[in-house]
Amino acid sequence: MKTFLNLVLLAALAVSASAAEVKLLNVSYDPTRELYTEYNAAFAKYWQAKTGDTVTVSQSHGGSGKQAQGVINGLDADVVTLALAYDIDAIASQSHLLPADWQKRLPHNSTPYTSTIVFLVRKGNPKGIKDWNDVVKKGVSVVVPNPKTSGGARWAYLAAYAYALEKNNHDDAAARSFITKLYKNVPVLDSGARGATVTFAKNGIGDVLLAWENEAHLALKEFGADNFEIVTPSLSILAEPPVALVDKNAKRHHTTEVATEYLKYLYSDAAQEIAAKNFYRPRNEAVAAKYAGNFTQLKLVTLDAEFGSWANAQKTHFADGGVFDQIYQSQ
Amino acid sequence: MKTTKLKQLIIAAAVGTQFALPLFAADGTATSTNGTATAEISAAPVAADNSAQEAEIKTLKEQVEALVQKVNALAQKPASAESVATISDLDQKVRILQRQREIDQDAATAKSATAPKVSLGQNGFSFSSADTNFVLQLHAVLQFDSRTYFHDDNAKGVDGFLLRRARPILSGTVARDFEYNFTPDFGGSQVQIVDAYTIYHGAPEFQVQAGKFKSPVGLEALQSDVNTSFNERSLATDLVPNRDLGLALKGDLYGGAASYAVGIFNGVSDYNGTATNTFSQNSKAAVARLFFQPWKNSDVNALRGFGFGVAGSYENDQPTTNATTGLTPGYMTDGQQKFFTYNKNVDASGVHWRLSPQTYYYYGPFGLLGEYVISDQHVSNYAVGGSKNVDVHNTAWEISGSWLLTGEDASYSGITPRKNFDPRLNQWGAWQLVARYANLSVDDDAFKGASATTSLANPTTSADNAQAFAFGLNWYLNKNVRANLSFSHTTFSGYAGSKFAAGSVPSEAENVLFTRIQLAF
Repeated sequence: MKTFLNLVLLAALAVSASAAEVKLLNVSYDPTRELYTEYNAAFAKYWQAKTGDTVTVSQSHGGSGKQAQGVINGLDADVVTLALAYDIDAIASQSHLLPADWQKRLPHNSTPYTSTIVFLVRKGNPKGIKDWNDVVKKGVSVVVPNPKTSGGARWAYLAAYAYALEKNNHDDAAARSFITKLYKNVPVLDSGARGATVTFAKNGIGDVLLAWENEAHLALKEFGADNFEIVTPSLSILAEPPVALVDKNAKRHHTTEVATEYLKYLYSDAAQEIAAKNFYRPRNEAVAAKYAGNFTQLKLVTLDAEFGSWANAQKTHFADGGVFDQIYQSQ
Repeated sequence: MKTTKLKQLIIAAAVGTQFALPLFAADGTATSTNGTATAEISAAPVAADNSAQEAEIKTLKEQVEALVQKVNALAQKPASAESVATISDLDQKVRILQRQREIDQDAATAKSATAPKVSLGQNGFSFSSADTNFVLQLHAVLQFDSRTYFHDDNAKGVDGFLLRRARPILSGTVARDFEYNFTPDFGGSQVQIVDAYTIYHGAPEFQVQAGKFKSPVGLEALQSDVNTSFNERSLATDLVPNRDLGLALKGDLYGGAASYAVGIFNGVSDYNGTATNTFSQNSKAAVARLFFQPWKNSDVNALRGFGFGVAGSYENDQPTTNATTGLTPGYMTDGQQKFFTYNKNVDASGVHWRLSPQTYYYYGPFGLLGEYVISDQHVSNYAVGGSKNVDVHNTAWEISGSWLLTGEDASYSGITPRKNFDPRLNQWGAWQLVARYANLSVDDDAFKGASATTSLANPTTSADNAQAFAFGLNWYLNKNVRANLSFSHTTFSGYAGSKFAAGSVPSEAENVLFTRIQLAF
């Protein structure tokens, strides 16, 4: 009997000591597929070396706003890595899956990398597009996704608006006129950044794509540098895509520890290098210096400085009945 | 762009003609692989043919040269900037329209994926969220019966129509894993809630049910009301509990090859279901059932529909109020007449247990269902000098068989006609013959006593034994509509040495003709 009990105890210990298989779901925005594919592999390696556990991270991508709504509606994300803080705020306020002060939990307001909005034009830049004022010219066809559903599109909209404010002594009416002209040049609105890239690069629509910097570089790689070129405007916006643990989902899945570490590891040197290689501007200064050649220097305004806050920008420009609805529906 | 395409077309035609010429020549000359003539094959007549062919070739060459000149002229003529811009504009518009269509289709697909779903069909109305986590279904059962009693001297059963069941059923799920059912019944003499329960579906092997629902004991009792072979359940069901308030843990193991249910209930008497939301005693009933279908998932067709099991209950009946006796309100015949009741002043006075081995077998159109029930209960007569704490051991059993004349598969859970009733298409639904024998035996100790009033039951008005034979014909017009016709013959025997009083239910055999029109969806 004693021998039997010992065997049972040993078996129990063996089971408890064996490596676990952990699954995470990262709900992200449209253009981060390649970044997180590479990062997930690196993190899995890191986590296995640290704990012996195998972690498999599933990815879900789409327009940032749509993705946030998906999580609110029950998409079982352990972590969200979205295009802008407002979308994660929406998850916190509407579903209470994470605390309202989620952004304070990680460095740099929980944004481990940044990006900006640039132009992708056809090779030779046949329409001579060099800055935002070229984009609003009559006869220029502009491709950009729908700011109602796409985080990148909201950044692009705000970048153009900030440029107009800057050029017009912060005259809001002039900026509004500028943005109206811009969207009059938009023939079709995709729901996400990747869809807009397909519209421009694969379907041959438009003269210029207002794109995430990393997405523009990816388009060069995917569709050929001999077909397109990147134009950096004189001014753009500092886009800060944040990341957050979805506390209640992770707790329910018993993945809080690994999911938290998954996000923290984004700030590691290795992860910052992966971000830089994928044309996301790293927060780590040393890595940023190492990959400085990947990123053109330009004037970057911040959302807080130009628009106060995401809540304010959302309410004024993108909420139902906001400026975007007024200028786009009136076409 | 247009001129380029035209140029390409003409050059292709010219080149094609030039390549075709040697082939034409092959009719009269042998050609080498490079197409030059190598030998003459025939004499003078051939020479005449050759001159004609040479003329033809010359003409064709001239035509080709003219075409080439035209092509060159078109190629050298520059397209106007205006026409190029127009074509480019048109090209963009077409691309934009195509892309917009793709986006609209994607949006429509995404919207339909998140839109609530509504369906209506033979399984009722159903409303569900896009992810089907929330479902609301509306079903209904309507049973319109008639009963006609024969040779009853007009003293007992009353002939007439009857709305046996009229139940709207609300059911569905919330939050994916929680099933609910709410079923009131407007048939009968008063409206009552028949079922009101929720089931947590953690896994097929682990489900928790709470509320008011069928106590898991009797095989025939557990069969859905719309699927029983006859209008009324058999004598065996007289000894099992009906619906009760309680909590049960249940599940299917090994893909349904085994199933279990254990529960704790308020406890109800034989053939009784609780009609109220109150209870009359502190002790509760423990109920358990095990059922096996070992070949359910096998390739052995002949045994796939074989199931057997055992169920039982245990409770300590000690009613704490005078409003209830803790005893059966009476054992009923097929014609729903009471042929056995306990006397006044008789109450349950202790342990009540039931045991029911049960089985069914379905193979092709053939079906068989049988069960045996023991209901053993301590009972006391509190009249002066009455029998005290008598262990009354009642037993009953039944066996019923069915045969689908139209060849459909028989099943415990209902019949689906191969062809729905539609006389225009010469289709007549499914037809089923059914037969049943049942027997209920009351313990002799129930009748022992110094007098008819001090015994537990009166032997002049209650039967010691009843046996019923029934047969019938069921017509399934479709999955939702069914018509029944059946006849039941029940005979009674009394306690030794006693005679039934004239006019009492068991004083003569019961003969009843049943009909039913049933609508269920």
